[in-house]
Amino acid sequence: MTLPPKDPRPAISRRDLLKTAGAAGAAALIPDAVGAVTEEAPALAPLLAGPMTNLTASETEILSAMVDRLIPTDELGSGALDAGVLQYIDRALSEAESDAAEAYRSGLAALDQYSRYSRGGPFIDLSTVDQDSALIDVQIGAATGAGAGFVGSSASFFNMVKSHTWQGMFGDPKYGGNVDFAGWDLINYPGIRLAVSPEDQRSLEADQLERARRSAYDFGLFE
Amino acid sequence: MKVSVPVALGAALVLTGGAVTGLRAQAPATFVVESPTMATGRFMPRDYSPDGRNLSPPLTWSGLPPGTRQLAVISQDYGAGRPPPWVHWIIYNIPSSAQGLPEGIPFDADHPMPTEIAGAVQGNNGWGLSAYRGPAPPAGSVHHYHFAVFALDEEFDLPPGLDRGELLQAIEGHVIGQGDMVTLYERQPMSERPG
Repeated sequence: MTLPPKDPRPAISRRDLLKTAGAAGAAALIPDAVGAVTEEAPALAPLLAGPMTNLTASETEILSAMVDRLIPTDELGSGALDAGVLQYIDRALSEAESDAAEAYRSGLAALDQYSRYSRGGPFIDLSTVDQDSALIDVQIGAATGAGAGFVGSSASFFNMVKSHTWQGMFGDPKYGGNVDFAGWDLINYPGIRLAVSPEDQRSLEADQLERARRSAYDFGLFE
Repeated sequence: MKVSVPVALGAALVLTGGAVTGLRAQAPATFVVESPTMATGRFMPRDYSPDGRNLSPPLTWSGLPPGTRQLAVISQDYGAGRPPPWVHWIIYNIPSSAQGLPEGIPFDADHPMPTEIAGAVQGNNGWGLSAYRGPAPPAGSVHHYHFAVFALDEEFDLPPGLDRGELLQAIEGHVIGQGDMVTLYERQPMSERPG
């Protein structure tokens, strides 16, 4: 029997990857924590659980692995974890997306149950190939009938997380994501400007326009 | 277990349904399609479905007609789709030197095809994905899954992402042989699975 291609990248524990990425994202958001993280590695685990307001440690791990597959860090640039998508979603669940908190709770539990049932292990421990395969089945709704506990179609859960991941990656940094403008850099977005001069336009077309690294709220017009 | 089940021409035409539009006026030859892990008329392993790893199943073929220069495979379910069939998998540009398809064809276009089928590409299934996605019938219903293999008298260089209709149109008049294998699947949700 021929096995499917394995992830060509070195075998790195998903937990290790999560801790590294989670620590980096959290440190960017909470400057006071930077010293503790960089000087004392054992502080990683508490830091991972600490900054989250709504998500439990287990939910944080599963969601981290999921958004890391949606927008992974690769040769093209930063990924969702670098951009603070996890922190964006956690914060949004207290604010504008508070109605979605239960959908996250049940959906993340169902994703993990589905992974154990179909791929033989918790989602965070699957190879990236199996994680992607499982997520495709969740995306197209094929995971629904496995009885893993998705409320409605598994596709609804996938689309919700995907939508929030996009928001956290490419939205205004004011809302907690797009840390260090990682999302805008990834798509070469030149940044927000109140006016674009002809010279700006020419520079943009020549791919020489200096990026404006400012939140829309820095302009004072939107507060 | 390897089960040899030749499919009669009449049955092949019935089983592949709309695919007959891709045939020549002269009836194509038939050949044998088998699998080392599946058997015609039997339930397929759950690893070929979303209840498992959703790997594409391995197939083998033998007795290709002389003059075969390339192959194409369509997996479909005539009990689903509006209109039927619901397409689970399309793969084509398969070199005639290939004696089958290995298990677990990459679903990610960035991963290369196995060397024995180098050059093969996947078309769009019913979900719009250029990949294999296995059976997911409603719980409690048994569906039939056809793996139709077409022997072609021309070496095509078709682009990836063709849907079933586009592929059949592209190969129309070039099908010189056809084989088919039919397997079954029924979902068994976690709550109904013992243990």
